[in-house]
Amino acid sequence: MSAVENRFATGDMEMEKQPLVEMKNIHKYFGKIRAVNGVNFKIGQAEIVGLIGDNGAGKSTLIKILSGYHRADEGEIFVEGEKVEINSPKDARKLRIETVYQDRALVDQMSVTRNIFMGREIVKNWGFLDRNKMNEESSSILDGMGLSIKSTDADVKFLSGGEKQGVAIARIMYFKAKLVILDEPTMALSIKEVQRVLEFVRALKKEGISVVFITHNLYHVYPIADRFCVMTRGKVVKDVKKENTSLDELVEAVISG
Amino acid sequence: MKSLRIPPKWQSLVRKGVYSREFGIFLTLIALSTFFYFTSRRHSFVSVINIQTILKIGSELGIVTVGVAMLMICGEFDLSVGSMLGFSALVMSSLYSKSGLSLPLALFITLCVGAFMGAVNGLVTVKFGIPSFITTLGTMMWWRGMVYVFSAGFPTIFRPEETSPLFKSIFVGNVEGVPCQFVWFTIFTIILAVMLNYHKFGNHVFATGGNKEAARAMGINTDLTKVICFVVVGVLCAFAGVVQSTRARGAYALQGSGIEMETIASTVIGGTSLFGGVGTILGAFLGVLVLEVISSGLITSGVSGYWFRCVIGVTVIGIVIANIMIERRRRS
Repeated sequence: MSAVENRFATGDMEMEKQPLVEMKNIHKYFGKIRAVNGVNFKIGQAEIVGLIGDNGAGKSTLIKILSGYHRADEGEIFVEGEKVEINSPKDARKLRIETVYQDRALVDQMSVTRNIFMGREIVKNWGFLDRNKMNEESSSILDGMGLSIKSTDADVKFLSGGEKQGVAIARIMYFKAKLVILDEPTMALSIKEVQRVLEFVRALKKEGISVVFITHNLYHVYPIADRFCVMTRGKVVKDVKKENTSLDELVEAVISG
Repeated sequence: MKSLRIPPKWQSLVRKGVYSREFGIFLTLIALSTFFYFTSRRHSFVSVINIQTILKIGSELGIVTVGVAMLMICGEFDLSVGSMLGFSALVMSSLYSKSGLSLPLALFITLCVGAFMGAVNGLVTVKFGIPSFITTLGTMMWWRGMVYVFSAGFPTIFRPEETSPLFKSIFVGNVEGVPCQFVWFTIFTIILAVMLNYHKFGNHVFATGGNKEAARAMGINTDLTKVICFVVVGVLCAFAGVVQSTRARGAYALQGSGIEMETIASTVIGGTSLFGGVGTILGAFLGVLVLEVISSGLITSGVSGYWFRCVIGVTVIGIVIANIMIERRRRS
């Protein structure tokens, strides 16, 4: 199916540009439980989508299908109009879809630089690390995000929660993701720290990177998202652009389902 | 004063060095040596022959320990090192003395056996997802059992100098008075330290031990990383077994037993965490020396050798407590 047909087939006149990622009629069962039940989910170019819902609403499962940790039992995924198979996190990364998990993004006992280049080290001959280059690159990318860390040689454990998120996001930016999935990036952060993380997300958008921001805290995502998807019991119950909704309406949708 | 001006780059290096854990262990080593200098009879602790003995015996433990340190940084244990060392020694001695193989070939096969034993530890651990504590507890008994099965508990003579004096001098000779064992220990320390700090493999080891899920999410093959670390330990055990058999002129049924705990004690003294992700090879190197200095110091001071284990036990606990307190102070 070509991109043009695709657009008309879904009958979506609102979407002027082709979406970056489109998930169609996704189903996922765990035994008898329908974790995701026929979901259509779209992410536009350089769009910030707030994926909201209570715990157990299916948002994590949906996103894990996109990042390759789960396989959908039914449904199709399109990236820039082309049908793709995502069977592993590696496949997702090849499509430049990157996910930041709160607890498994960084290694506390390693330096900022080593974390940024973890698994994708810059090497000289024989696989030896080019430490100078890695340090320079990580300083410049962190500066670019307005994240001032004293030394990129310092261990990550000395950073605050917000700064850690910043490092994880900087890493993704450096490796030129098209889509970044943030799984509860503001959980357990102070108000000030949340503001910083939101700044990082804005920086991603500025770079033309799309973001899916998963949270059950609507107040965190409301200021920055362009569109909201509310999930309840495995279904998307509301999919609305920011200009067509209000905070109250969204709160109502989350609560009542 | 002009002569005291140090370039800033060096200043920060010096500062880093002084505040590092290794420097603390180094100071401990100096303090212990000074103490034993005064307590030993006729200051025999610092005699050339005693220091040579410390380096000879300590290096056999040390060659295994640096491998174990890397493995522990990767987040795994190996309790089977003593049995692997004993079995390798038996393989080497038997191939040479009984099967009549040439020394280089016997050595090659022995190192391969070491690699195989390490690979078994690694593959069983990662493929079945069981704690390496259990895997290597099992293989510890298995390989020690195999020693008894093949040797029936009798020693196997190993005298390589009969055909090749060179072989003996390579492993247990000396260079300008420095025992070759210590030269090998130093070489392995440098190789592993460089790999860990300057090679991407080291980055994968730290990441795997520090946060396996994060490492995996970034595309690091954590299983492979672990298996490689186990194989390195196996090969180093085989090497240490050959060295020890050459020195002791044979393979013995109980050879290597007990070193599993000594390797862990040395790495812990050297600042390696039991939970993975933290540690240095240099620390393990110094930790081995601390252990051996205590052992030798007690003996030369006329204390019964039976006290050795008691003192090591207290030392391990004391140093870990000190490390925790230093870490707390550094954080605040």
